[in-house]
Amino acid sequence: MSGEKLTKILVALLLALLTPHLLTYSLSAAAQAPDIEQQTHEIAAELRCPVCQNLSVADSPSELAVQMRASIEEQLRQGKSPDEVKQFFVSKYGDWVLLAPPAKGFNLLLWLSPAIAALCGVILVGFAIRRWARKRATQAADPAALQAPAGEDRRDFLVGEQARLEAEMKELDFDFQAGKLSDADYAALSGELKLQAAGVAKQITAMPQHALQPPALEHAKPRTTAAATERRGLRNWQLATGAAFLLLLGLGLGVLLTQSVRSRDSGDTMTGDFLTGTQAAGPQEATLARGRAAIEKGDFPQAIEAFKQVLTSDPNNPEALSYMGIMLSQAGHSDGALTAFDRALAADPNFPLALWGKGMLLYRSGGDQAEARRLLEKVSGMMPAGPEKTELENVLSQMSQSPAAAKSAAAKPETAAKSAAGSATRTGQIEGIIDVDAKLKANLDARAVLFIIARPSRGGGPPLAVKKIPAPKFPFSYSLSAQDVMMPGAVFSGKLYVTARLDKDGDPLTQSPEDLAGEYNKNPVEVGSKRIDILLAPARSQAR
Amino acid sequence: MPVRRLAITFAIILPLLALLAYGFFRDPRYIPSPLVGKPAPAFSLQLFSGEKIDVSALRGKVVFINFWASWCPPCIAEAKELESAWRRLKDQDVVFIGVEIQDTEANGRGFVKEFGITYPNGADPTGKIPIDYGVWGIPESFFVDPDGRIVYKHVGAIGPALVEAKSAEARRRIMTTKEGKGEYQSIR
Repeated sequence: MSGEKLTKILVALLLALLTPHLLTYSLSAAAQAPDIEQQTHEIAAELRCPVCQNLSVADSPSELAVQMRASIEEQLRQGKSPDEVKQFFVSKYGDWVLLAPPAKGFNLLLWLSPAIAALCGVILVGFAIRRWARKRATQAADPAALQAPAGEDRRDFLVGEQARLEAEMKELDFDFQAGKLSDADYAALSGELKLQAAGVAKQITAMPQHALQPPALEHAKPRTTAAATERRGLRNWQLATGAAFLLLLGLGLGVLLTQSVRSRDSGDTMTGDFLTGTQAAGPQEATLARGRAAIEKGDFPQAIEAFKQVLTSDPNNPEALSYMGIMLSQAGHSDGALTAFDRALAADPNFPLALWGKGMLLYRSGGDQAEARRLLEKVSGMMPAGPEKTELENVLSQMSQSPAAAKSAAAKPETAAKSAAGSATRTGQIEGIIDVDAKLKANLDARAVLFIIARPSRGGGPPLAVKKIPAPKFPFSYSLSAQDVMMPGAVFSGKLYVTARLDKDGDPLTQSPEDLAGEYNKNPVEVGSKRIDILLAPARSQAR
Repeated sequence: MPVRRLAITFAIILPLLALLAYGFFRDPRYIPSPLVGKPAPAFSLQLFSGEKIDVSALRGKVVFINFWASWCPPCIAEAKELESAWRRLKDQDVVFIGVEIQDTEANGRGFVKEFGITYPNGADPTGKIPIDYGVWGIPESFFVDPDGRIVYKHVGAIGPALVEAKSAEARRRIMTTKEGKGEYQSIR
């Protein structure tokens, strides 16, 4: 029995030890980027810190590790490949310095041990299963044979066994008559007992005939058969539960251990927020960067998608909210933009982008001018000197030049907007008529919103001026002027690309296939031009 | 049957125990240097005295290079003994160089003054020289023969007798592959 137990314990240990090991191999394929800083980190993570115990150069705060990281970075900047850098450290510290030593010589044992252990485990499991199966088979065919001794003792044993079975049979009958057993149980148990008794009797008759001694009743150890059968039945599901538990333990260890021992960036959590569902800092920063890059390229749908992704995991990310606000305000959605800026400022009251965005929006739309001024002055104090700061200071000086507008702003937003727009150079208007294809006119949505957009460059890019017309009646005659300029200070002049868009749900950030779009067919147009007529058609057929 | 079972159990357990024992009898922090027998990496060092010393210009002489820090107790222990060894060896074409690492230059100057060290010493704040020499413990000492080859490495405090003996061996270009270990090493 002790050998069997040992086998089981070994199997259990092997399973528990191996599962994480096997999983590590499949999970450790990490994404790679050629960025030097990241490469330095990756190489450092593979090197062992010489003055630490079981720490990589990347993780160690020791001075030597710091100097080694600097050396890695310097060598990479000199154009060495990561392998050459690692080879440099191997030439100085030997294979010792590699956290994953090369698979040769004595180290080979290290690399092969998981496979060897797995093989041993499989063999052990195989032996154990074979033994169990054989034991069960012999028990079923000949229940007494396994424990029976040989020779002369065997007869005594068999006779004793026969007596025991008879006694059990009687006990069973007694129990049944006393009503302790159901008909079905009685039938099953007595059937099994009779079968066993028949087997024993058969063995006795098969033996050379000696004087058959009468059954010695005192040999019989009365046991309750019900309990015995129950125990055997129990063993199967106990084994199954044990196996399932071991498998779960192995899998759990595999997932959690690989999560906790993988190389982490600073700020990354132990579990990678595997359980909490929040994203680790790394990918989110990458998504933000993608959004910023998209904005610079003028790829607004891409930028919106990136910032939305950030906001799903971090709904109060001030940067994503600020950029969303800026894009909303550029698209003419002052209310939505204001909400976004307010949420960003609630998360971080000193976030410059939100301060700037809200300040400009209030100033331009003729909202609370005092508040706009306060916000813009605050952000101006934070900004480093440069063209952007100069622009902001110009806006602030314009604000102080027209204090009347600021005072009356709250009462008469329309005047304030006009005076604000007036600060932009008033050079003229673009006029024309926008119409919809006659066939489509019948199907127009009542909620649809018309946007007329003038951009200084073709295709994407931030618009210079936008006009938003809710529920337009076609043909719609429009005029774009300096009043519609997005940001104060921008000059409404020169050659502009005029496009129009009828947005079905009134949200320019979402694009539905039922949106209509069109552009003036002789773009670009000079400011001051008239009869810049646009015919709207389904957006799908338009080349954006 | 029990004999066979016992044999199998031992066949499994004994190698594992042997592996464990092998692991326990090794110092996990000890890093055998691949540099012994190889040419000594070249470097030039700005000395506290203001001069500059270039190791590659010292061919034909035995060079003793000692990496130290002012905060390291074994370095303090060996400081006076190294100075006495230097006074005995300096007329025999042996050059001593002390490289102060993982420390500030001011501390290094104070240390040199305190122990009256007269052989060339300088600080390497970048840590390039010790990395080039695969230094992991402090102090560490290297002996370079007249051909510019590292013939002996010693980790931990080194005594004057050993310095003299190894300098003499280095002059005769005798290499000792087994690294020396001072009883007194700084706690890492």
